[in-house]
Amino acid sequence: MTNEATIKAPDVDFNTPALQRHRKIRAFKDRFAASAIGVGGMSIILAITLIFFYLMYEVVPLFKPASIEQVATYARPGADVATKYLYMEEQGEQALRIAEDGSLVFFNTRNGQLTHTQQLPVPAGVTLKSVTDAGIGSKLLVAGLSDGTALLLQHAYKVTYPNDQRVISPVIEYPFGETPLVLDAAGSALTQVALRDTSDAMLLVAITEAGQLVSAYYTKEENFLSGELTLEQADITLPHLADRVSHLEIAPDLRWLYVGTESGKLDVYDLRDKQAPVLNSHINFASGAVHIETMQLLLGGMSLIVGDSDGNITQLFMVRDSNNQYALTRVRDFTPRASGVSVLAAEQRRKGFLIGDKTGHISIFNATANRQLLTEKVQDSEIKSLIIAPRANYLMFENGRGEFEFWSVDNEHPEVSWSALWGEVWYEGYAEPDYIWQSSSASNDFEPKYSLVPLAFGTIKAAFYAMLIATPLAICGALYTAYFMAPGLRRKVKPSIELMEALPTVILGFLAGLFFAPYMELHLPGVFTWLLIMPLAFVLFGFVWANLPQQIRHLLPDGWMPVILLPLVVLVTWLSFWMSPLVEHWFFGGDMRHWITDELGIGFDQRNALVVGFAMGFAVIPTIFSITEDAVFSVPKHLSYGSLALGATQWQTMIRVVLPTASPGIFSAIMIGMGRAVGETMIVLMATGNTPVMEMNIFEGLRTLSANIAVEMPESEVASTHFRILFLAAFVLFLFTFVVNTVAEYVRQRLRNKYSVI
Amino acid sequence: MAQALSPTTHEEATMSKEQATSTGQGSARTHGIDISSLDRSSEVMRLEDETLSLEVKNLKLYYGEKEALHGINMQIPQKRVTAFIGPSGCGKSTLLRCFNRMNDLVDGCRIDGQILLDGNDIYQRNVEVAELRRRVGMVFQKPNPFPKSIYENVAYGLRIQGINKKRILDETVEWSLRSAALWDEVKDRLNDSALGLSGGQQQRLVIARTVAVRPEVLLLDEPASALDPLSTLKIEELIHELKDDYTIVIVTHNMQQAARVSDYTAFMYMGDLVEFGSTNELFTNPAKKQTEDYITGRYG
Repeated sequence: MTNEATIKAPDVDFNTPALQRHRKIRAFKDRFAASAIGVGGMSIILAITLIFFYLMYEVVPLFKPASIEQVATYARPGADVATKYLYMEEQGEQALRIAEDGSLVFFNTRNGQLTHTQQLPVPAGVTLKSVTDAGIGSKLLVAGLSDGTALLLQHAYKVTYPNDQRVISPVIEYPFGETPLVLDAAGSALTQVALRDTSDAMLLVAITEAGQLVSAYYTKEENFLSGELTLEQADITLPHLADRVSHLEIAPDLRWLYVGTESGKLDVYDLRDKQAPVLNSHINFASGAVHIETMQLLLGGMSLIVGDSDGNITQLFMVRDSNNQYALTRVRDFTPRASGVSVLAAEQRRKGFLIGDKTGHISIFNATANRQLLTEKVQDSEIKSLIIAPRANYLMFENGRGEFEFWSVDNEHPEVSWSALWGEVWYEGYAEPDYIWQSSSASNDFEPKYSLVPLAFGTIKAAFYAMLIATPLAICGALYTAYFMAPGLRRKVKPSIELMEALPTVILGFLAGLFFAPYMELHLPGVFTWLLIMPLAFVLFGFVWANLPQQIRHLLPDGWMPVILLPLVVLVTWLSFWMSPLVEHWFFGGDMRHWITDELGIGFDQRNALVVGFAMGFAVIPTIFSITEDAVFSVPKHLSYGSLALGATQWQTMIRVVLPTASPGIFSAIMIGMGRAVGETMIVLMATGNTPVMEMNIFEGLRTLSANIAVEMPESEVASTHFRILFLAAFVLFLFTFVVNTVAEYVRQRLRNKYSVI
Repeated sequence: MAQALSPTTHEEATMSKEQATSTGQGSARTHGIDISSLDRSSEVMRLEDETLSLEVKNLKLYYGEKEALHGINMQIPQKRVTAFIGPSGCGKSTLLRCFNRMNDLVDGCRIDGQILLDGNDIYQRNVEVAELRRRVGMVFQKPNPFPKSIYENVAYGLRIQGINKKRILDETVEWSLRSAALWDEVKDRLNDSALGLSGGQQQRLVIARTVAVRPEVLLLDEPASALDPLSTLKIEELIHELKDDYTIVIVTHNMQQAARVSDYTAFMYMGDLVEFGSTNELFTNPAKKQTEDYITGRYG
């Protein structure tokens, strides 16, 4: 070689100051780029971690147990006789105590100082035997007196702000007069009373000392001029029980009367006919020495909580069977107490209650979630007169020394438990346990139903139908485009499909919900005819084409066949929808929707999973298509040539060499498509009807986790249980995507190691 | 770059070695390559005595409007090694690819004329291309094993023919790998990925894979150009063994290789077949000036 080097190499100095500087700058750029990329990558990981922790931060309080803390203890305010009734007003600042001797005091809950004292208008020598309210949170009270009469009174709290200081002034009113109503003409003391007041009637039932029921029933008449209400006594006949009655509850609609006896039996009477009540159900609680200690209706007046002397706590409510017959049913048992239950206090805003037992424990329960949030020993002796503030943030009880104890309660989210979120829950008014999502309602005493199962199911259902439509179309299309299509046509087809991805999903959802769904409802047979005959038409056309004379076939260059399929697609589509009424007439008796509901016995919604399948499938196709096409196209040509040279056909080469080699790419295409289908919000929001039902049926709607968040987040109260559960839904979605992507990446790496070419 | 360089270096190395030996022997060296030093049998081969395997009749090939082969006429004898030599771009690989219709895969490629395989035109309409390619196997310049196990690579050709019986597959895999002189190196790791083999082993695997479907003709398109000298040697030995059973057509730009392995040599230039004859004849006594110029290294 040296002898050929006749031309002198030009002098190049690689060490001039300028070049040295250039080298330094080059090295700096390299280091800078390396660190900038590193910082970028770490920031992404950090951002995702932050999102994760933010969601966790919002979700974790849901699972925090309750706690209570002593605030004050003071001597019993007012008369030093037995307490018959205790109540705390909204703010937990003042409490009301009614004592056995008819004295009524309002006092400051934090120090026991009396703010208002009053004596009830009871005749001399008569004492109060019992005081109850007309349902949870009601300020209408009834006092059962020792002379067989009952006094109705109402307490109210006026809040004023003189000098910017909140002043609560309590008032006592007698809405039905200061004269007690006579219940037992014989004058036997009323040991227990129950009162329910509706807009047109009022029912008072009491237990006499002999353990028998006495009652008074009034209908209300409104004077149409003055609007003044007048009570008219109406007839009512209550059954005479063989056992001595010990407990009593009336349903808010005055239909059911729950009666507990000293022998531990629980009877329910149907009071629709007030003259002839019918025994509806009979449940025996007693076994041996066990008897009912406390019995109370929860908020809403549907669920009855019964605590017995053995410490068992049971929830029951009236369940309607398929024959429309009601029966009192034991729904769930709560964690039993070690000693007998002595007192029960129901929360005024939630389906929760407190239990005080014989050995000085206080426990907090939630009925729906079947969750014991707290048990704490607060004293050694039996808990008496336990109450909870309307906002469930304070509780008060009378301790063994006759003192009043005032405690604060921290119990923000009792409705949530693993079983309430993911298990079947027997909700009030339902015939059986079920998965239900119903987060809010117009009424205050509604039981929120926070099962995430229907939402997770809806998410999977929507993704399933979307993928069912998108995956085969996108992958087959990509295979054809990458492997068989003429390059000239491919250059047009690929960007067009990728352009589909740029279409905002809100427009897709809008079209699907407002145009496609109603159109499909009207042309349902057409849609199915189309799905059925389109592939057939393709195959038939392919067969005919292959058998055409060569002169005709050669008019079309190789790989341009899809172009002549276009008119066929148009024709078949037009034909299917033109035939739709005929098909409907021939096979479905003129109305396919009726046929589906009547003959197949499945529900039909206008916005259903089929619509979502098409619309979301349309949104997912470009993603899967684009990635798959790239993966297939980048399989080296020498591999497919190698296969073809061995005598494989194009199809065999495609299936046996190209597909496996492209499989990591195809796999990630499907996974990315699925991630998109799972997280997609606008299309499902607009095209599904958002009904959280649990039906795999393609003709019914659904609600996805993402759509649920979008629908409900704006109207949920910040930091409420509902709000946090929506965050939990987001967290579940996040975890789902995270796990699926991680697994997908792992599988993809495995595939890539197996099929990597270089 | 390194790949392209290595054969050249190899060629030079052999060349200088030959020069060294030829100075001792002297006489047999005529045109740059000392044929006698290549350990060839001195028997004279004559095309007229051979049974024909492939016959090319006035073959013209067009890439779009451009004519790449200008009316080639050629006869390729059975169970012999025929080498195509010529400078880059002369059309030797294009011609080779016509024999199993791989050119069909090239966009805008069109053919005039005939190629007869055992007397039948392979460009007839009723010819099944896949079957043709099974009968006329091809090995490419760059080893292209499939991303499958060694076993599956060899069994692939049988599987696509619908043969899935394990016994037949096992036997064929062993026989093919032995035929390709690869069996002893890979018999303990048949289920490992073929991509873990060295370049030379991969190329022999590809030959084994091609042999497994029992082709009649084996087309080798510069099979050793991407390999190191040792692997090249092994491939050349392999070609020598395989010619007892197969008609072999090899394209090479390495004249040493053509001289070493082939019985017949065709020299092509600019889409024309310049000279075709027995290798001994062509290298020692070329009929055309162009051939002589090429083999003595005056251009190329």
